[in-house]
Amino acid sequence: MKILAVTACPSGVAHTYMAAEALTKAAKQKGHSIKVETQGSIGIENAITPKDVADADIVVLTKDMAIKNRERFAGKTIINVGVGDAVRKADIIVAKAEEVIAQKGQS
Amino acid sequence: MGQLVRTELMDLNLKATDRTSVIRELTQLLDKEGCLFSQDGFLQDVFKREETGNTAVGFGVAIPHGKSPAVKEAAVVFGRSEAGIDWEAFDGSPVHTVFLLAVPDQQASNEHLKILAMLSRALINEEFRQELSEAKTKAEILGILEKVTQ
Repeated sequence: MKILAVTACPSGVAHTYMAAEALTKAAKQKGHSIKVETQGSIGIENAITPKDVADADIVVLTKDMAIKNRERFAGKTIINVGVGDAVRKADIIVAKAEEVIAQKGQS
Repeated sequence: MGQLVRTELMDLNLKATDRTSVIRELTQLLDKEGCLFSQDGFLQDVFKREETGNTAVGFGVAIPHGKSPAVKEAAVVFGRSEAGIDWEAFDGSPVHTVFLLAVPDQQASNEHLKILAMLSRALINEEFRQELSEAKTKAEILGILEKVTQ
């Protein structure tokens, strides 16, 4: 499964990056490919390209702050999660993503 | 990691067991090291951030932070508590490791923010957290932190 994620948090100093790392680790553990764009105080890093979007099965967005350029994900399957949950329960989010994709496949 | 982390900005044996007191204790270290324009101003911004969302991130770690005009010089304070701190966290679990981050409101370069980002990422790594909790001296902690931020 190809996962894309964008993380952002109120001060853009710590949670953005912890969430990015946690999601990456959890996805890889399950054998998925993942790319995480961080929108923190440093600016946008590891920017997601139109090709990334085209290839992605699912998009995970943190919902604590407005995600910049959110419109580029129009039409994709999106899961919105709290940035704190992405840090603490990244494995559950990845499992949820698997479930959503599996359900989509059936319908 | 330059001056961002230093042994003077560490307390391996925090006495306080509640969130507010611990933040105050660690802020005093920042003030003593000349990193702040105003202790009160910084505390206000840190507590404001706690209100937006609790900074206990799980695994016994909390990262209170203030991006504040009261900060003169970016710095990281490291605190450890054996007894555990009540961070009023979502699951009520105690915090044993605290990183208090001080970031100036405006800064010339992103260098410090990049280091804080690297540190934040490292905290997801269980071995890194383990090393921090087992280290016996401030010098050891400094070495561990420098390793992940280079």
